[in-house]
Amino acid sequence: MYNPRDIIEVLAGNVRKTMSPFGVPKGMVNGWWKTEGLRQDEETLLFTGLMYQFVPYIETATRQLERYEDTKWTPYLKYARFFPSSLSGLGLAMLTPAAEKSKADRHLRNIVKVLRASGTRFGYRPDLDEYSGILLYDLGDQENFVRHARIVAEKLQKAGVRKIITTDPHTTYALKVLYPKYVGASFEVSTYFEALHLRASGAGKKLTLHDPCFYGRYLELSNAPRRILGEIGYECVDVRESGMFTSCCGGPAESISPKLSSRIGSKRVQKLDATGEQIVTMCPICLNNLARSGANVVDLSSILAGDEASATN
Amino acid sequence: MTGVNPEFIKRLEPLSADLGSACFNCGTCAAICPLISEHFPRKMIRYVQIGAQDRILEQAQELWRCLHCGLCTQTCPRGANPGEVILTLKRFVTAAWRKS
Repeated sequence: MYNPRDIIEVLAGNVRKTMSPFGVPKGMVNGWWKTEGLRQDEETLLFTGLMYQFVPYIETATRQLERYEDTKWTPYLKYARFFPSSLSGLGLAMLTPAAEKSKADRHLRNIVKVLRASGTRFGYRPDLDEYSGILLYDLGDQENFVRHARIVAEKLQKAGVRKIITTDPHTTYALKVLYPKYVGASFEVSTYFEALHLRASGAGKKLTLHDPCFYGRYLELSNAPRRILGEIGYECVDVRESGMFTSCCGGPAESISPKLSSRIGSKRVQKLDATGEQIVTMCPICLNNLARSGANVVDLSSILAGDEASATN
Repeated sequence: MTGVNPEFIKRLEPLSADLGSACFNCGTCAAICPLISEHFPRKMIRYVQIGAQDRILEQAQELWRCLHCGLCTQTCPRGANPGEVILTLKRFVTAAWRKS
């Protein structure tokens, strides 16, 4: 386990300087939209919070942290805050495999595909899409979370944004619950799968869903993906710990203790594997943690979009 | 010997409304916590209730094992919001570190 104080100061410093917890410039992580021909002037804004985009970098950083956790090098993390964020961010970017980055982009393109197939009108503004700050909140750094959230919210408000479609549970929770509560900024927030209507394609196949904590419990959104999957012909085989009582995937503890994260993730994978069906989740953090714990897991967007290549990893 | 500070809970009030006052130490939260170790988070909430500030600070790292998954809050029969109490303590400790 790393000293949480060191982790918090590194992440908070990165967010203050670069708007990103990993210090990677947004232009480097957020290029998925360039191929999609997305309009900018729609009433409803797609807002990714950069979470899918960050996952490859989280994985790279976690592997490095895992190598040095509980060794004589653990205390040296405190000096990381003195490196220029852009320098360490670029280093992280270079260590991160391009294949992982393109996989993350693919999930977002699949989300765009299913939104369009449902007849949903939405725009995308890369200049407005920012990290929500949720990890700072979860780590207890309220001061920096509120500071960051205020900046993000003001950008959205100044641009006249009222309606937002999100793509992951943490960003959804931040914008829907935390921003109104702590910075007084309210938007009409829904996550991408809440209003989908798609053509049948499942043909009776069975799936086992892992509900992320923030969708299953905090936001009570576990019925929506089951509804849409049922509509397109899939059968959901649930484990006992699902919905409001879903179990943890081990994230986002991976920054504080990769070992703890793996231990919890492994328990969850055992439960999910017991059904014998394909495991599906709808959160980039869960996707990554379950995969690193040995699960054959795919993102909900891959199933909905009929993206077989992505669905089979 | 554990020193207690009856005023401790007042120091937490500006940070959050979730202070564990409703907790009656049934242990459901500890039973369901995926960490499954050493009576977490119930132990920390007990420390809050009796004002054992020093115990909290000396075991502060334990707070960050919490993943904020919310299972304990979901299952608490008293609505004491144990998960949010832990988040309150994280804020308290983070602020204390920054002052030191």
